[in-house]
Amino acid sequence: MKLTKVLFATKFRELAFDALESLLDLKAAGLKEIILTYIIPREEVGFVPYGGYMKDEEERLREQARIRFEDWQEALSKAGVDSKIRIEVGEPVPKLVRIAEKEKVNLIVAGRKKRTALEKVYVGSHTLDLLRRSTAIPVLISKYMVYCDMEGQCVRRVNEHPFQRPLFATDWSKPSQNALEFITSLKGAVDKVDVVHVIGVKISKGLDKTELYRIEKESKERLDKYCATLKKAGLEAEPHLAAGRTASEIIRLSRELNSTMIVQGTTGKDRVKEFFIGSVSHRIAEASELPTLLVP
Amino acid sequence: MTRGKLSLLFLLLCLTVFPSVALASEAGHGHGGINLGEVLPLYSCIPFAGMLLSIALFPLFAPKFWHHHFGKISAFWAAAIAIPFLIAYKGQALYEFLHIILADYVPFIILLWALYTIAGGILLRGSLRGTPVVNTVMLIIGTALASWMGTTGAAMLMIRPFLRANNYRKYRTFMVVFFIFLVANIGGSLTPLGDPPLFLGFLHGVPFFWTFNILPHMLVAVGILLVIYFVLDTYFYKKEGVTAPVEEGVKEPLKVEGIYNFIFLGGVVGAVLMSGMVKWGEISVLGVHRGVQEWVRDGLLILLGVLSLIATPKKLREDNDFTWFPIQEVAYLFIGIFLTMVPCLLILKAGAKGQLAFLIETVKEPIHYFWMTGMLSSFLDNAPTYLTFFSTALGGFYPGMAEAQAVPLLIAENNIYLKGIAAGAVFFGACTYIGNAPNFMVRSIAEEAGTPMPSFFGYMLKYSIPFLISTFIVISFIFFV
Repeated sequence: MKLTKVLFATKFRELAFDALESLLDLKAAGLKEIILTYIIPREEVGFVPYGGYMKDEEERLREQARIRFEDWQEALSKAGVDSKIRIEVGEPVPKLVRIAEKEKVNLIVAGRKKRTALEKVYVGSHTLDLLRRSTAIPVLISKYMVYCDMEGQCVRRVNEHPFQRPLFATDWSKPSQNALEFITSLKGAVDKVDVVHVIGVKISKGLDKTELYRIEKESKERLDKYCATLKKAGLEAEPHLAAGRTASEIIRLSRELNSTMIVQGTTGKDRVKEFFIGSVSHRIAEASELPTLLVP
Repeated sequence: MTRGKLSLLFLLLCLTVFPSVALASEAGHGHGGINLGEVLPLYSCIPFAGMLLSIALFPLFAPKFWHHHFGKISAFWAAAIAIPFLIAYKGQALYEFLHIILADYVPFIILLWALYTIAGGILLRGSLRGTPVVNTVMLIIGTALASWMGTTGAAMLMIRPFLRANNYRKYRTFMVVFFIFLVANIGGSLTPLGDPPLFLGFLHGVPFFWTFNILPHMLVAVGILLVIYFVLDTYFYKKEGVTAPVEEGVKEPLKVEGIYNFIFLGGVVGAVLMSGMVKWGEISVLGVHRGVQEWVRDGLLILLGVLSLIATPKKLREDNDFTWFPIQEVAYLFIGIFLTMVPCLLILKAGAKGQLAFLIETVKEPIHYFWMTGMLSSFLDNAPTYLTFFSTALGGFYPGMAEAQAVPLLIAENNIYLKGIAAGAVFFGACTYIGNAPNFMVRSIAEEAGTPMPSFFGYMLKYSIPFLISTFIVISFIFFV
């Protein structure tokens, strides 16, 4: 698979353009076109109680978006990347997924939420919904600049080159296989991949040592196989085995290894399943200060 | 308007209303359990008028402000009456508010929510070609469905296929206007499920099938309007000289998806019917007595809505462009409407002893009820207007009598007055965009789809007055003179 077309969804929040620019690293991996997308939420312009539809407001928002996008297009054009503008009115998440499918993009890049003191998460409800809904196309949650806690201090972190050193967390599932394949398409943009597997508490709990050693050995072998696949594709790769709570271990390792992004496979659990079973990939997307790429 | 200015306005209003209400309460305290309707001053109706005028004027003159702050405006008017009223009449006022919330607002919103949710799970797919015959048939189907799935439900089900079928046509505006006339309003006149005013009547003791008394009125109105529509559509169809569009890609066959939602709709009809037919005793919630069957009905409606949500795939609702926003808006606005209308209803029920005696004396004949309810329904939402004139009639014929006794008497002895109120509220709701909630939803969807819609006054001058008002004059001569 070649990564040639990316859909960049924006709400024109601060640093959106910087987030877009950070995607230009993908040019080395074969990126040719970016679809600049803005969805005007229907509620912003429609269903005015007893009033109907604010056509003028829609026009204003469209024009505003067009002018911004055209400015961005110039920068993209200078960098040698083609672009197309899509401005539509509707329900943001389903609309984005529909556009992405229609445009046959290889990757959707979406939002960044300012973390608040109350809810220490970096992903808004729309982005989380996008992760659940995009069952065929990988989604990258770009977090260009975030504030995070490091050694008891609140520090600003800028993720300028997210693709440089991805941490690839695998659970050996089919989506993980897909993620592995997707990473190989990033060749050129990636310096080194850290392949990580965590023997989760649920698995290791209550096991005797022999069984644990067997799992450890098997995991190491599988990690080596993954690394071999990446190396075969021309990417530098290093295996890491960890044990403990999966999400926190992955986040800990991403900090230790100076990763620039976390890549995972995702099974696309719906809200109900996620509520009862929980989704490691979504939890990491919410809690990590790094851009997170989820491959279905 | 800044928050500071809003607060100042609120304070001024409280200062205006409060002393009068307080004085009135002093006057009434000596009587022990006073009849509030007899002592309330006329200006206690100001918040109700303000609420309805806000709905009428803000969307016209400050749509953006209104769109973002309608909830606060509704809360402002509700507080403007609730605070002084509670201070002045304490327990009695609290009872009146709780009563209108539990006995009217809650079941009203639950029914609307259930119908909106279930109807939003039905999707009509397919490539239709909007010829005069096809369009007229679609209008007939929508009109027939409206009484059983609510005007909002029927309008939401039919408007997108209707617009899609006619997207190749040049003159589309009149089509959507007639759609609003028929599907979003007049079609809903046959059952309490059809249009909110009729459901409020049902909640106040009007039997479920009584509304079939409006059938002749409805048939005349629908007949006249459909003939006019067909003539207009045929004229424009020929004038446009367009032929069927070349099909883009594969022609999609006509198909109704989410058909099981009709079962849930049947459940809604059954639940509402049941609540009108059985008596399982009463229970008191926060001092408000309601029939057990009414609570059961509300519970069943919620259950049916939830079942529809579970059974209907999310994708289907998305393809239907389903959104919660309109129903949320209605919920926010109607809590304001219901709370502010409390004094007004009490005064009207007091009949000649209340401050609105002049209104009761003016509105005497059935034709007065038809036109007065109607004209006000055109500019104010038709649900509260129905209740206002319903109370006027009760106050006029049976002043001071409890509603449970007065309503059967009104039906038995003065049926034609209730017909005038019901037909007026439902039919005239079509006269403006603000007459009935689905009107603005249809307008919004049509404009989003690229169909130009007339302005507020354009709608009235070009369409309502020539077509609707003339139809209502005919109806007046046939049924109310």
